[in-house]
Formats: sequence, C-alpha cells, structure tokens
Amino acid sequence: MEKIVVEARGIKKTYKMSERNIVEALRGVNIKVYEGDFSAIIGPSGCGKSTLMHILGLLDRPDEGTLEIDGVDMTRLREKKAYKMRAKKIGFIFQGFNLIPTLTSLENVVLAGRYGGLRRRERFFRAKELLTTLGLKERMNHKPNELSGGQQQRVAIARALINNPAIILADEPTGELDTKTSLEIMDILKKLNEKEKKTFLIVTHNMEVANSCKKIIRLRDGKNVSR
Amino acid sequence: MEIFRNMWRRKFRTFLTIFGIVIGIFAFTVMGSMALKLNKMISGGKQYITGQISVMPKGASYGTSTGTLPIDTLNKISKIEGVDKVGALASLLVEDQNLDDASMSMGNPPTIYGADNKSDFKNRNWETMDMREGKMLNRDSKDDEIVVGINIATDKKLHVGDTYKIRGRDFKVVGVVNKTMTGPDDYVFMAITPSRELLIESNPFMKSLYESGRLKLDDVNSMAGVSWKDGYDSEKVSDEIKDKFGNDVSVMSPVKMGEMIDKASAMMNAIILGSAMLALIVGLFSIVNTMVMSISERTKEIGIKKAIGASGRSIAFEYTMEAGIIGLVGGAIGMGLGALAATIINNKMASKGAEIFLLQNNFLVGVIIFSFVVGIIAGFFPALRASKLKVVDAIREL
Repeated sequence: MEKIVVEARGIKKTYKMSERNIVEALRGVNIKVYEGDFSAIIGPSGCGKSTLMHILGLLDRPDEGTLEIDGVDMTRLREKKAYKMRAKKIGFIFQGFNLIPTLTSLENVVLAGRYGGLRRRERFFRAKELLTTLGLKERMNHKPNELSGGQQQRVAIARALINNPAIILADEPTGELDTKTSLEIMDILKKLNEKEKKTFLIVTHNMEVANSCKKIIRLRDGKNVSR
Repeated sequence: MEIFRNMWRRKFRTFLTIFGIVIGIFAFTVMGSMALKLNKMISGGKQYITGQISVMPKGASYGTSTGTLPIDTLNKISKIEGVDKVGALASLLVEDQNLDDASMSMGNPPTIYGADNKSDFKNRNWETMDMREGKMLNRDSKDDEIVVGINIATDKKLHVGDTYKIRGRDFKVVGVVNKTMTGPDDYVFMAITPSRELLIESNPFMKSLYESGRLKLDDVNSMAGVSWKDGYDSEKVSDEIKDKFGNDVSVMSPVKMGEMIDKASAMMNAIILGSAMLALIVGLFSIVNTMVMSISERTKEIGIKKAIGASGRSIAFEYTMEAGIIGLVGGAIGMGLGALAATIINNKMASKGAEIFLLQNNFLVGVIIFSFVVGIIAGFFPALRASKLKVVDAIREL
C-alpha cells in the first residue's frame, strides 16, 4: 500500500484586505500526495497555488481544514514546533532561489543541515556529497552572486535535500531560468524522483513543466478541480 | 563568521555605529579611571579620618589651620572619660603656594606632617606604613630626620641618606614610604619640634609672639589626634569634647566624618560616571538604530531562514549577538584608546606625583564586558521583533 506523505482535507484560507475586500484564496482544497509522487499543481493566476504551497510548507496556517505530513497532524501546530517540522520534514525550493547572499554554496546547504539537527561533521559531509552529485564540486566556496541562475537553483536543491525530507515543495523552480537551464533543473528533479524516490510537489504555470510530471493537480478559484 | 560578514555588508554604517560606541566607552574609561583614582584617595583619607577624633583650633576645617591648639587643651582632652591617648600634630605646606601659578594638580600639595613620636597615640586605621626604603620615624628618631612620601621622593629624586632642604633647613631622609595613592604620598613626616619651629617661621604673627615669649613652642599644634578606649562610643567621646570646649575647638567625629565623605564621594562618582553614561547611551541608541535598519533590510533573508527551519530563538540569538559584537568591538577600541590617553597623561603628571587616573585591570576588563552587554541589550528588542516575523510575510518582501 502506498504511503501517504501529505494529506490535506478541506483546507480553507481567507484574506481580509479591508472590511469590504475579503479574498477567499482557498475554499476547501483536498489533496493527497503519495511517497514517490512527482506532482505539479497548476492553475490560473490567483487560483491559490502559492497559498496552498505555503500552507503545505507550514509557512502559513489554514483557517479551516486538516493537514497531515508524514502521518503527523500539523493543523494545530504552533510556530514553536512548526520550525522543527519545516526543517526535518519539508524541503523548499523557491522561484528566486533565495540563497543567503553572504554564505557560500556549501554554507547555504550546511545551514539547513544545522537547522535540521544534523551534527557538524555529518552536515558538512552530506552537503559536499549533494553539491558534488549536482555538479557543483568546483563551486562550493562561491557565493550566490558568483553563480549562474542554474547553479544557484542547484544549490537550493541541495539545501532542500540535506535533511532527507518527506516531501520537497518547489514553487516555480524554473520561473527565473532560461529554457535550457529549466530543462536541466527539471531533469535533476526527475532523476532524484526516479532513482532516490524523492517526493516532489511542484507549483508551476508552465505547461511543459507540468506535463513532465507524473500527476497534475488543477486548482481553480481556490478549489481542487482535478479528476 | 556569518555575523562578521553581515556586519561588513554595510561597512560605513557599521563603522559609524562602532564609532559611537568607541566615543562612549572612551569617555567611560577615562572618567571611570578618574573616579577610581579619586575614590582611592578619598578612601585613604577616610581611613585616616575615621581612625581618630580630630580636634582643631576654632574655625579650622580639615587641612586648613589658621590657629593653634595650646598644649593645655590637649592635656584637658586627655582627662575626658573615654579618651585613650592624645597626639599633637603640627602641619604646614613644604613650600608656600605661589598664587600666580595657575596650574592645577589632582594630588595634595607637599605637606609637612609633624607628629609627636614619643607619644603613644595611634590612629586606629593607620598604624603602620609600608616602606619602600629605610624605616619610619620612631621614639629614637632625631629632630633632623625625615621620612618622605613617594611623590616627593620621585619629584626631588630623594633616597635614604640624602639631604632635603625644607624652608631653609636641612633634613636627612631616613625613609621613603611606598605608594599609597592617598595623602601620605605627598607628606614629609618629621618630629613635632622642628615642624612647630617651621610653622612659627612661616607665620610672622606667630613668630613675633614666640620671640616675645607670649607663645610657647608646645602650644603650636595644628591639630590633636584623639583615640578612644575600647568599649567606648567614638561619637559620645566626640560629643564630650565638644561639650567641654564649646566653640573654642572644631571636633570631627569619625562616624559623622565618614558619612560626609561617603556622601561627597557618591555625589562625585555620580557626576563623573553619569556624564560618561550619557555618552554611552548615545552609543547604545546608535546600535538600536543600526539593528532596526539591518533587520528591515534583511527581512526576506529572515523569512528564508525560517522557511528552511530556523527557530525564532535562533533568529533572535543571531541578531542579538551581532549587536553584542558591535558593542564588544567598539568597547575594546574605546577602552584601548581611553587607557592609552590615561597612561599618557599620567606619565606626564608622574614627575609631579599627581597622576589623575587609576587604571585597574579588572575595571578595564569590566568595561569591555559592559560594552558587550550594552550591545546585547541594544540589539535584544529589534532581534525579538525579527524572531516574531511571520514567515510568509517575510518571504513576500521584495
């Protein structure tokens, strides 16, 4: 039986901009992500993709609904405990890479390892191993402004993987890359999925990226309209 | 290391912030060293004053005697209940002060301290002196023998065996007192007879009285030191002396004098250190300002760190430490410069025995620790705000 990594039921999120301007970003979303899935979330602009990603990544809390990640109920989790779950259970890849500019590639990856509770020797070892696997052996001591977009995203991938998370959430991972580099990055993610059974949930508006995924979750007007 | 790199992101701003702390700590170090020196001097004086009841001629205050105490008065004092011993003292300046000399000194002017060495009177807090050379005067000392304080020995380059001419008379140095940081550093200790004679010589009116036989040598006393018997209250004995002699003498009781000195000392410390603290507060607010701006600029970075698993506590710790290190660096530089300035000024004043500052290692180390703590305090509330930033809001920052 397939293991469920993420199960979201009836997720609702509302933003109150003003007394009259209330935005229902999510209106009861149900999602199941299984171990080894390589899924894309697609939908028109404003459909709630990023909001859903933030909630699944424990960066925000739903107003209603339940969320379980790797069998742990996260719904009522307070921030004091949420950071531990973010560190250990979830890997995040952002559209804009979001590396720490004052740290080298190696240090950026090691930092995530530190937050995940890895011992010093282990986090350095794993960080070097990941960066080497991703073709960045010669770039470990370079800062983000010394790397290309594709290299920065690879560092971000390594950072997302260092704590061996239950799921990797990627928010428009190719959004700021050219076509060739986008294909390279997607290739890396697919290989990680196929060979190492890593679970991915990718938010994208790019249909080519979506079509390269095994499953597609469609959002419209804050609801999951997938069949 | 990341903390140092973050500080270096905005070099000029960091430099200005550190400079603000440098100024504050420099002032604190200099003023604090001055306060330490003054406190040391005062505590030495307080020790002396509270170790005896001091009786002076009418209208005199401590150290300024315009009249003399007759020996008869001292004899009467010795018979008061509770009084143990009475010692005669005659003091005057080694040299008459030149009123045209506008220079100021933090130390005492060189003073002759003439005591009756044959008397059994002893100050309760001041029984022995630590000698650098030679020995202290005793019952067997001759009238032309003197012991000098370290500042006088340094200024006049005196050692045991040397001759020191005071007011036209030659005296032989038989001892040099070790540094006390208080009054005795500027004293010339001599027997009471020659000091009385010098006092008469220095005062034309007294001299004419003495030469005409209307003033006896024994009656020329600047002050009487009075010790009290064990089991007696020094304040009550002082009151007895006041009651007996009324306004004819000024009586300084140990406890009251101690309290007066403490009050004056506390006020002086408050003024000196308060002014330094003001400079430091300005530095503290400059750190607060820098940290608030820094956190505002790095809001997205804070969001990223929280997104990848940083706790609020680790964020708060990171920014608090950054502020602490700014304080520490500024403190170390400010302390170094302050200590250097104090040392240079002290070296210039050393020849006159009038050092202004007292540099103590534990104070200097304490200053650096204090500046680190000031930095921590300054950075704490901005750091706390940073730790409470909502992740999703922080990440959305452009």
